[in-house]
Amino acid sequence: MGLEAEASDAEVVRAVLAGDVDRYSVLVRRYRDRYARYAARMLGSRDVAEDAVQDALVRAFDRLADCRDPNKFAGWLFLILRNRCYAERRRRQRERPLLPVDEGLAGPDRPDGAYDRREQQRALEQSLGHLTAEQREVFVLKHVEGMAYDEIAQITGASVASLKMRMHRAYDRLRDLMKGQL
Amino acid sequence: MMAGYHPLVKQMLDGELSLADLPPELRGEGEEALRLVQAADRAPVALSPAVEDRVMALVRGHAASPARRAWRWLHAPRELELRLRVRPWAVWGGALAAAAVLALLLSRPARTPNSETRVASRDSVFVRFVLYAPGARRVAVAGTFNQWDRSAAPLVPAGTSGVWTTTLALPVGQYQYGFVVDGERWVADPAAPAVDDGFGRRNSLVAVTAHGTHVL
Amino acid sequence: MSRLSLVLGLVLLAILPGTLDAQDVAARLGGRVPPTVRQAVVTIAAGAAARGLPVEPLVQKAIEGGAKGVPADRVIAAVRSLAGRLGDAMAALHEAGLATPDGDVVEGGADALNAGLTSHDVRDLVRLSRPPYDPSLTLRVAATLAALGVPGPQALQLVEGMISAGRSASDLLALPAEVQAGVGRGATPAEAAAGLARAAGGSPPGRTSGFVPPGQSNPHRPPPNPHKP
Repeated sequence: MGLEAEASDAEVVRAVLAGDVDRYSVLVRRYRDRYARYAARMLGSRDVAEDAVQDALVRAFDRLADCRDPNKFAGWLFLILRNRCYAERRRRQRERPLLPVDEGLAGPDRPDGAYDRREQQRALEQSLGHLTAEQREVFVLKHVEGMAYDEIAQITGASVASLKMRMHRAYDRLRDLMKGQL
Repeated sequence: MMAGYHPLVKQMLDGELSLADLPPELRGEGEEALRLVQAADRAPVALSPAVEDRVMALVRGHAASPARRAWRWLHAPRELELRLRVRPWAVWGGALAAAAVLALLLSRPARTPNSETRVASRDSVFVRFVLYAPGARRVAVAGTFNQWDRSAAPLVPAGTSGVWTTTLALPVGQYQYGFVVDGERWVADPAAPAVDDGFGRRNSLVAVTAHGTHVL
Repeated sequence: MSRLSLVLGLVLLAILPGTLDAQDVAARLGGRVPPTVRQAVVTIAAGAAARGLPVEPLVQKAIEGGAKGVPADRVIAAVRSLAGRLGDAMAALHEAGLATPDGDVVEGGADALNAGLTSHDVRDLVRLSRPPYDPSLTLRVAATLAALGVPGPQALQLVEGMISAGRSASDLLALPAEVQAGVGRGATPAEAAAGLARAAGGSPPGRTSGFVPPGQSNPHRPPPNPHKP
């Protein structure tokens, strides 16, 4: 594992492009779980997130030659995953517009006093499903992934001002959706 | 409809103010707002270790497939127009495979004798369908080009790689299609252009024209 | 569905010129769909033919439903829905000035409506699709762009822009694949379409540069704590 674990993204990308397909597993292991939380919080389901991450990784392989700067493989892969998440949300809205997000993220209730928090967590997860994709994304990136507005702006291409507006609308919407549960 | 949060409370949620910075009358609202964002689930999400196996099985299939070899070939200028696409797919319930459809078109008769054998006629072209479906017992492609017949166009497994292929001579036109796995499971390519089939599923699209095959 | 309605359907289809023969419809569906579906589709097809709509797409949809094992009532509903879209498309084509459009164009319009474009979109696009542009082609390109996730108005603008710029049919047909390629490079469908529109129309680019994805610049930074000290 040692040498593989230390190889940079760019080294692995170049090796794969040169024909060493098996080396791609290094990138799969490196990014599988790192992006899983973003996908899970965007899609509201670990299982759906798993499909999305897997699909993004396969797509990235198929288009690896398009990754112009192998040093930025991580960002390039993230954009593919992000688009995959948006597409999945659109697909689910078309096919199941009336169904709430599933409860795949909710764990078992605990009898140790964490019940209220667990319930709030579940309520927030449900409420996030009612936000627009853009509102949900900015909430996830800021309050789950811990990114600053300027970092989010770099990802989304939106200005910090519009991101704040998006987020502030999300706050208001979430407050309304979670009325009586906070 | 409950009123939204006070702008100062939103600033606090954005990390620009602390709770102590809020005027006393907004503290209660501020505490509630903090409970809201603190309810965000920040626990790491670990995916199944099988993801790695599945991804690698898929990419090895793609790397070994005629599609990928053709893609490399495409990067060199040739006389023949050729379009292709490869898409993975996932199925419900943990059993996972990958699907790809590859349309190879020789839109104009090539000058090399070997290629002429691949041109069906003036008005039809060879379209190659490729499905990566390890574990499948049988696979077929059905669509508007064969009256949705589930047995008319079976795919043939390429060794034990999990890749199934078939090549059909299709007349010029636009087609909707899907793969049929094991005679009963209909699978559209989720990453490809697809339309509502009216029955709660999706149909993939491909167009065969005098100019080539296209993803519509 | 009564036997009378089946007979009426067969009679209507038989006397209408230029459509599938009544026996053809019934015969093609025989053994492929349940009898209730066959009867209903014959009647729906007769009504469609009476309005000058193509019947073949209705037959195909019924056969597809049968092959997929879809319950009879859903097959009938889907065929009826498709007949409605064909009718809406025909109305839009009439508004666009096509008095007797080819069946393929009507079907292309129905596909566009199914993909999310509006009747006005169909009308406007067909108005622009004068020779050498085939309206069935431009409609399907716009429909496919919409199916890829490009917002309807933007899909329409992109195709219109290509027509206005005098681009070839091959260029039009290549649009969906180019949008897919853009998405593969990390753009949203809307961004990819906007890039193509700029390329076609020569407007200035405006895409954001590189960025640091989550977990890259600060992989160990804890989530933000709104409780500032």
